[in-house]
Formats: sequence, structure tokens, C-alpha cells
Amino acid sequence: MEQVLKLRNLKVVFPTDYGLIRAVEGIDLDIYDRECVALVGESGSGKSVTSQAVMRLLGSPPSLVRVDVLEFDGRDLTRCTEKEMQEIRGKEMAMIFQDAMTSLNPVMTVGRQIDEVYIRHEGDSKQAAREKTVKALELIGIPEPGERANAFPHQLSGGMRQRVLLAMAFACMPKLIIADEPTTALDVTIQAQVLKTLRGMQKGCGTSLLLVTHDLSVVASIADRVYVMYAGKIVEKAPVEDLFIKPHHPYTVGLMAAVPTLTDEKKKFTQIPGTVPSPVNKPSGCYFHPRCEYATERCRREMPSLVPVGQGREVRCFHPLSVEGGKSSE
Amino acid sequence: MSDIITLQNVSVHFPVRGFLPFLKKGEIQAVSDVSLRIGRGEIFGIVGESGCGKTTLANTMVGFVKPTAGKVLFEGVDLSSLPRQEFKKVRRRMQMIFQDPFSSLNPRFNVYQIVSEPMLIRGEDDEESMKARVVELLEMVGLSSGDLYRYPSDFSGGQRQRIGIARAISLNPSFLVCDEPVSALDVSIHAQILNLLLELQEKLNLTYVFISHNLADVKKLCDRLAVMYLGKVMEAGNSDKIFAKPLHPYTQALMAAVLNIDFSGKREIAVLPGDTPSPIDPPPGCRFWQRCPKAMRGCKDVPPEYVEVEEDHVVACHLVNGFPKTELPDGYDQPLVRSEKTVKVRR
Repeated sequence: MEQVLKLRNLKVVFPTDYGLIRAVEGIDLDIYDRECVALVGESGSGKSVTSQAVMRLLGSPPSLVRVDVLEFDGRDLTRCTEKEMQEIRGKEMAMIFQDAMTSLNPVMTVGRQIDEVYIRHEGDSKQAAREKTVKALELIGIPEPGERANAFPHQLSGGMRQRVLLAMAFACMPKLIIADEPTTALDVTIQAQVLKTLRGMQKGCGTSLLLVTHDLSVVASIADRVYVMYAGKIVEKAPVEDLFIKPHHPYTVGLMAAVPTLTDEKKKFTQIPGTVPSPVNKPSGCYFHPRCEYATERCRREMPSLVPVGQGREVRCFHPLSVEGGKSSE
Repeated sequence: MSDIITLQNVSVHFPVRGFLPFLKKGEIQAVSDVSLRIGRGEIFGIVGESGCGKTTLANTMVGFVKPTAGKVLFEGVDLSSLPRQEFKKVRRRMQMIFQDPFSSLNPRFNVYQIVSEPMLIRGEDDEESMKARVVELLEMVGLSSGDLYRYPSDFSGGQRQRIGIARAISLNPSFLVCDEPVSALDVSIHAQILNLLLELQEKLNLTYVFISHNLADVKKLCDRLAVMYLGKVMEAGNSDKIFAKPLHPYTQALMAAVLNIDFSGKREIAVLPGDTPSPIDPPPGCRFWQRCPKAMRGCKDVPPEYVEVEEDHVVACHLVNGFPKTELPDGYDQPLVRSEKTVKVRR
């Protein structure tokens, strides 16, 4: 399979008055053709920073980015000038943001905002661009696309606005789309609609998708492979089905238990105790040990490395769990 | 169990004004003809999509919004009949927890100022006892006295929500409205906040109204619930009964929309098509007819009545209750054939 994105040893730090914030500490990421890869983690785990680093959207200052390899579609992005990056962004790599209301321009009709993509990247005339825009809106499932194109963002509902962002991202049929929490601000019913559209478009257009989210139920719905992040490091990597059937890392197990479902017991919510450590002052050893019920002396001292366990799976834990939730042999 | 809140045919309408303020263009029927009762010590869920009027309804319960018609009784007393001073006294016993912990806390106040403000407004002036009380409250919600002089920006989303909860319980309320208290938080933090709410309920003997658009949270938390759509209650009653036998197509659609992480069976995303239509001058019939997968021709024009299908389980749907024996349009019970164009989107 063709590799769309290859990322090796990405490190991002933000020097601040309070100390060095190590947002991302050495991440490897591979995305193959027509694949949906999910990057899961709580706020502050560094998942958004990673996705922005891939698009080279992080300003320096404030950030310092180190990366060994950043290859997109066979090209070395670290050597691209800002001008070349501008050609790539939007055309070959596009981004969908969480909050559609703030990422759309409120004083421009949504149609014009999508037109811009075609005018800028495909050199279309205004008329030709608008025709394509209407077609794109129709494809994404917006009723009366010709009329809707003349609407301003505030005249559309939240689900519609998110669809407009989808249409914009898919406009030039890019190789890779990065969706940063695409459905977090939406109602459950609209979330299901948008996810289904996103999945359908991704399959239909042959695009690869990097999905950044904190919600494992979203991951379960559309992803093919999953990377679980915690405090700037990957803690588990697995194909989606394997991960949900047999999670290895205690953090993944905790995240899965936190997803509310309709079959759960009443009046009892399983929680992961504590909070994500401060990025300035991370704990010794395994970053998860203060919140982990299986932590041992070794976990407090040493940081485990990411080791392969089975086909396409890796886990960063001294005591990976087996399927029954009990401990496997070390 | 006596009821703490009773709503009698409550409607809240907001006028939509045109170019000149006295030219009324229409009416947003945010809440229309809602009758509910909430028992003491109960967790009552209000579920629905954005724009269905659940927040307006909650605001009406605590007196933020005056009902256009109908009555809100708090412990049997009509809130709108009370003189201002009396109302203020009652109002202390109802508090709110807001959705967004980032905008509901004053960024220029420290934790002590935020949590003690309700006491100041009540007229307390003893600094020492107030401080002791704030520390006690912070410990109750899982923060410590060391956080007293820190500012909201120093805290994570979950911790800020804890501050909001401490503020809400500072005057020993008996009734608490939680307006989507976890939807702005990470999934992993949801459980912590919901467990805290359960713990406080037991300790302080509270009654909650819990507003949410996620049925999974509501199922786990609530004793009774109401499912709302476009200002009307579609189905209401005992939570166990509704989840065991959801009768309204909208309730069923909401249940199907909850994403699961179960990989043992076939996986599919169930989708309820369309968007919530405009609440301005809605049609006279069932409000859900435009998106209802089982709509019949009569649903558009004949309003469904509330029928108690079993004890403490009320449904408003022609499909379940049958059409009333009045004048009915031709072919009222035939399935509705609709073209895409009939689904009008909110502007």
C-alpha cells in the first residue's frame, strides 16, 4: 500500500516563563492510502499539536519543532518553503476544524468561501468555481445547494456549517484530510449524520483521513487504525477492531470504560482518577503511573518503550493487560 | 414523595420582530404547553437536540424566564405570583450549573471570590466564616484550600466545572439545574463530574434537572425524564420504563444515534436525516412529522394528544395512541410520501 504520510520522531516544545512545555515527545505516525487513522487522547495530550505540525502550521516562535522525517506523498515537507506549503495546504492536504462557527468567515457567504479554494488552487473563473461549489455542496448532502451557497454562516445550523467545512476540505480531492475534533460541538443526531458523510466522502474520494478526537465512540465508528496518545507520547497503536476487542494499555481500557453506552449499569460512572499531568512538570517513569491501578515500582522509575505486540500493534507498558482485563505475564 | 416543581401547561413564546420593533413577524414557540412534575430527591432528565427548548424550559423553572402561559409551581407556590423580595428568598434554593466552564466563571475573580459571591449577595459579611465555608465547599467538590486564591485560567475544564458546582451549592439549595454540565468536557472527565454530582446529591439531598442531548448519560443518571422536540414534550415519565420500551419514533432515533464501541456485532451508524426545523410558527400537528420515519398523512395537521400508556409513561404520538375521533383529513393513516423539498431547514 502506498504511504501518504510518514512521520518520525516528532518533538514539539514551547519555551515559556514557567519552563519548557514538552507538548509532543517523539511521535512516529504512518498513514497509508485511503485509510482513516485516529489520534485519540484527552485535552493536553498533544494530539492537536501533532496534527498542526504535520501541516507545518506551528509558528516558530512560540514553538520549537524537531522532526527526523516528515514525508508527505513522497515529498520531504521539512525542505518545503512557506510558498510551497501554501500550494500543498488546501490542495493536497486539508484540515477540518472543530468549531465551524469560528473557522468560517462570518461576513462572507459560504459559497464564496468554497469558491476561493477552486479559484486559488485550480485557477478557475468565478463562474466555474461556483458551479463546482454547488456540486460539492450537493455531494455532501446539503439540500438546495444553489440557494445555500448564498447563505452566511450564521444562517445555517451547526450540522450544516460542519458540512460546509467538509465540502471545503474535499474541494480539491486532497490526498490527506486532517479532521480535528470534527463532531465535538454537535448534537448526537447531527454527529451521526456528519460522521456518516465524512466516512462516505473519504471512501468515495479515496482520501486518507487523520481523525483527531478525545471520544473513542467516534473512533469506533469510522477509524481503521488508532493511535492512543497520553501526555505527548503514543501509548498504544492498533487496528481499530483489535483495540476495542482487546485493549492492552490501562489508559486505553480507562478511556473505553468512560464512554457512556445504553447498556451500562445505572448510577455508576467508571472514571479514570486524577487528571492529565501538567506539561511542565511530568511525573517520573511512565507518565500514566500516578493514575494507573497496576503501577509498580518499575513504572515509577523507568519510562517503558513502545514495543510490538502482535500484528500491527504496539504498546508502551510494562504490564500490558490481556482481554479479560486481568494482567498478562510480563 | 411530594413534588418540588410542577409545570402546568407552560408555554414560552418569544416574538420575532421585523424591521420596526412593533411589527411582529412571528413567534418562536420555544416551549409550548408543557406539563411536568419533578419529585423531591429525583434526577430529572430533559433530552433533545439544540433548539428544542430544553434550556428555555429549565430557565423557566428557576424563574429566569417568565412563562407566556401556564404556571410554574415550586413546592406548590406559583413563582410569578410572588413579590420580588419573596421570590429572591425562594430563588436561593434553586441554583444552576452551566454548560461552558470557560465562560461561566469570571476570569478576573479568584476561586474564593467566585464561590463566596452568592453569600455576599445574601448579605453575609463575616470574612472568617465565609472563608471556612468556601474551603469546606472546595473540599466537597474535590479541590483543596490551596486553590483558594488561584484564578480560573489556572484550572483545566473539569476543575473549572467543579468550581462552578461549588458556587452552585454554596447557599444550600434544594433544587439544582444542570444545563449540559459535561458536554464541553473530555469524555474521560465526564465520569468524574457525573460521579461528583451523584455524590453531592446523596450528601445534600438535592433534586436535579439534568439537561443533555446524549441519551446514554441520561439513562445512567436519571430517574425520570422528558424527551423534547421543537418545544414540545414527545415522551416523558419513568426512565427505566422509557428505555425498556421507547414508543415515540424520536426517542427511538435518539437512542439509535448513541455511538457504541461494541465490536461484537455488525457496526453501522444510524442516522436520523434532516435538521431541526424552524421553531417560528410551527405546523399545528405533530412537530416531528417532517423528520419522522414513520409519519402518516394526518400527522402534519392533527396534533397528537398526551396519553399515559402505562403508569408514569406519557407519549404524544398518533402511531402509538391512534388518531383522535374528530374530523380527519382524507387518507390520514396512509404513510406519508415526501419529497426532499418538504424538509425545510432552519434559517
